[in-house]
Amino acid sequence: MQSLLDIPRGARSLLKGMGVTIRHFFRKPVTVEYPRKRAPVAKAHRNAIVLIEKDDIGSHNCIACLQCEKICPSACISITGSRPDGIAFKRPDKFDVDFALCSDCGLCLDVCPTDTLGYSEVYDAAGYSRADSKFDLLEAWRDKEGEALGTLRERERKKKEEREAKRKAAEEAKAKAAAKEKAEGKEDDKTGNGTAAS
Amino acid sequence: MPELIHVGRDEDRDTYYLNMGPQHPSTHGVLRLRLLLKGEEILEAEPIVGYSHRAHEKMAENRNYIQFLPNTSRIDYLSGMIYNIGYCQAVERILGLEVPERAEYIRIICCELNRISSHLLWYGTLLMDLGGFTPFLYCWDDRENILDILDEVTGSRLTYCYGRFGGVTMDVNDEFLQNTLDFCKRFRERLPEYETLVTENIIFQNRCKDVGVFDQELAQDFALTGPILRAMGHKRDVRRDEPYGIYDKFDFDIPTLNGADTFDRFLIRVEEMHQSLSIVEQAVSRIPDGPVMAPKVPRKIKPPKGEYYFAVESARGHFGMFIVSDGTEIPYRIHLRTPSFANLSSLRSVLRGTMIADTVAILGSIDIVLPEIDR
Amino acid sequence: MPRDFVDIFGNPWLAAAAAIAVIMGFLSLNALMLIWMERKVSARMQRRMGPTERGPFGLLQTMFDMIKLLGKELITPTHVSRKLYLSAPVLMFVPIVAICSLFPLSENWVFHKYDIALVLVLAFSSMSILGIFAAGWGSNNKYSLLGAIRSILQNIAYEVPLILAVLAVVLVARSLSLYEIAMEQSPIPYILFQPLAAVIFFIAATAETNRAPFDIPEAESELIGGFHTEYSGMRFGMFFFAEYSNMVIVCALATILFLGGWHGPVLPGVVWFLIKVYALIFIMMWFRWTFPRLRFDQLLKFSWLLLVPLAVANLLVTALVLKLL
Repeated sequence: MQSLLDIPRGARSLLKGMGVTIRHFFRKPVTVEYPRKRAPVAKAHRNAIVLIEKDDIGSHNCIACLQCEKICPSACISITGSRPDGIAFKRPDKFDVDFALCSDCGLCLDVCPTDTLGYSEVYDAAGYSRADSKFDLLEAWRDKEGEALGTLRERERKKKEEREAKRKAAEEAKAKAAAKEKAEGKEDDKTGNGTAAS
Repeated sequence: MPELIHVGRDEDRDTYYLNMGPQHPSTHGVLRLRLLLKGEEILEAEPIVGYSHRAHEKMAENRNYIQFLPNTSRIDYLSGMIYNIGYCQAVERILGLEVPERAEYIRIICCELNRISSHLLWYGTLLMDLGGFTPFLYCWDDRENILDILDEVTGSRLTYCYGRFGGVTMDVNDEFLQNTLDFCKRFRERLPEYETLVTENIIFQNRCKDVGVFDQELAQDFALTGPILRAMGHKRDVRRDEPYGIYDKFDFDIPTLNGADTFDRFLIRVEEMHQSLSIVEQAVSRIPDGPVMAPKVPRKIKPPKGEYYFAVESARGHFGMFIVSDGTEIPYRIHLRTPSFANLSSLRSVLRGTMIADTVAILGSIDIVLPEIDR
Repeated sequence: MPRDFVDIFGNPWLAAAAAIAVIMGFLSLNALMLIWMERKVSARMQRRMGPTERGPFGLLQTMFDMIKLLGKELITPTHVSRKLYLSAPVLMFVPIVAICSLFPLSENWVFHKYDIALVLVLAFSSMSILGIFAAGWGSNNKYSLLGAIRSILQNIAYEVPLILAVLAVVLVARSLSLYEIAMEQSPIPYILFQPLAAVIFFIAATAETNRAPFDIPEAESELIGGFHTEYSGMRFGMFFFAEYSNMVIVCALATILFLGGWHGPVLPGVVWFLIKVYALIFIMMWFRWTFPRLRFDQLLKFSWLLLVPLAVANLLVTALVLKLL
């Protein structure tokens, strides 16, 4: 009996549901056909990490401090670095990232002291084997490395010169001050003597 | 010709075992249900878990507090933001770190958006289990909106690692706030459509009403939490009972119903989406200016020796973290009390006497996330 | 145009072979088009695009799918009962071809005018359940078995209201010949005399073809694939073809019984017939992509406690009215 009373209500609810779907039938699809059109990707979206260019160097500014390697929870970064001649900091010889292990947590970016780590803009990197997800971050910078080293050396030399100049200036100033002091001291002595004499 | 494998047990030829899962479309991952059936009726049901165990708790013992951050959102990948922020809040509480107010507001917005997206996915999959495929895709359409919005600021779409001890990684801009408001407006227009298509549908109501009724004792026996508990008439919600973050500054209801059946659990979650929308709108309208990171965060996180417990309300219920610190950089132990695990345990009692078709409805209405159960 | 295949060929065997060839050709084409249509309709209702790549509007997509299915290895699981397992797809298909030969498409497009075509249609349509049961039982898989049992119970439950609804039409038309029934409806289709019977028939027909919301035999969220869980390759394709061919059959029957068959203004009869059939199929698809699935016991209750009494009442009222007139 209950079910008989339900028929009009039930039938109406079903028809109303059909009304909803048919309304959508005549609307435009929301699909973005991927290979032909690409949906915009958020600027902040986290992809594989890359080394970003620093304008004043003309290359990345990684100093191989290993902070990112140390904090990475999934140990996907491996770096070796050495100090080239004439530069105060180390430069990386190897900067490999295994993106297959990466969990996009962004902790490496947080700890980077020179802010030279950033996210790549490629969001649909794909490959056929695990080796395809291993990226050599230095690859893009290899041909610029010599130039960058030159810039850095130049900068280092300038810094050194500046430091030298400063040191010299400071020394000179010190010497001067010492000489002055000496002179003043003598004067003081004189006056002292004078007072003592008087 | 090989012998036919006979399906009954020797002592009782009327009954047979059916392994539902671990590879089954409706077990939402790799849950295995061992059902003892008589025809279509379930005599006994035994959930078997552990197929996607990834040892998150063990991993926590082998890495420092900061390095555990990306793990948190992978425990429950559907409400990853709530877990991620919740873990940050737990450690901040231990260290006594003050979080800037703007960061707190951003956290609330992101967590509540995440709660809506989690509920939307549940909504869709429940309907798909019941055979309605179209609502599923409507839900994904709306969920996609949330993911896009969160992607703009967190950089991820599902497994967020947005929180940091003392704040969040990135500040939000006006565009984000505007997009959030636009979504709220759009979604408020969509919800009545869902109601017409699903809630009012007589077939759906027949499938859900008086199906899978939870006995009141179960609440205590299995420590049920979340929408399931609220559908049994208990007004319990961590956000209200032990406010964390700045939830005490917001005006929202904790919906409760008394039916304890699948339909009530459905209604509770729908109402929670409304409430979350209202929280998001309040937060967006009141968000202050300022920094998003605390000025002085220690580089090495070394909580004082001791045992700590902190809980947040995830989309599925009470998520607790029990952290034991021995004073070093690496936690001695982090135990995770996850809601789905407790909720799923009650399945055995609830499924008794129901039918196979009800199993998928009940399982869907409990809203389990397998990785969170297995951890 | 000659009216009967037997007249053209002279020889009944030759006529039968020609009819089978025509029907198989039509059914294959129809299944391909219907699968395309289903994918397109579902996609648009869900705000998606559906197939777009192959051919205009993706029309050839299902062709390529079929070629893929044909190219797949036919796997026969070791634990199945081979005879039943292998014969099931064929058992599904044979009654369909038989039924199709009974339909008049227009006044002139008839294979052969049987006086009791309606009875034959109903008899053959109950046979397709044999195929489902053979598949479910022969697969020796619990899910398949459950699907097969559900299917049989459902078919029995819905055959009764279906036949009762058809009987009401037979009473009005005073004929069992599909051709005669269609001819009777030349000015006014029977749906106006028998709206209740039409609704009952359409609901029961949806259930007979195992379409949503009555698709419990193959409920993928409960029983994975139901009776065709263990089938792969073109054997699975045969079940797929059978499902769509069944849709055409019940919709063609509904068109002849209630919508006036090929009668309509301006356009030729065959076109009208096909328009009506495909409109009904569209409605069936519309059902599928809107409603959730009924539960097994609700499904049976719906038939036995609601549709059957209503159909009986309708039949009695029809008989009474006809007697009084």
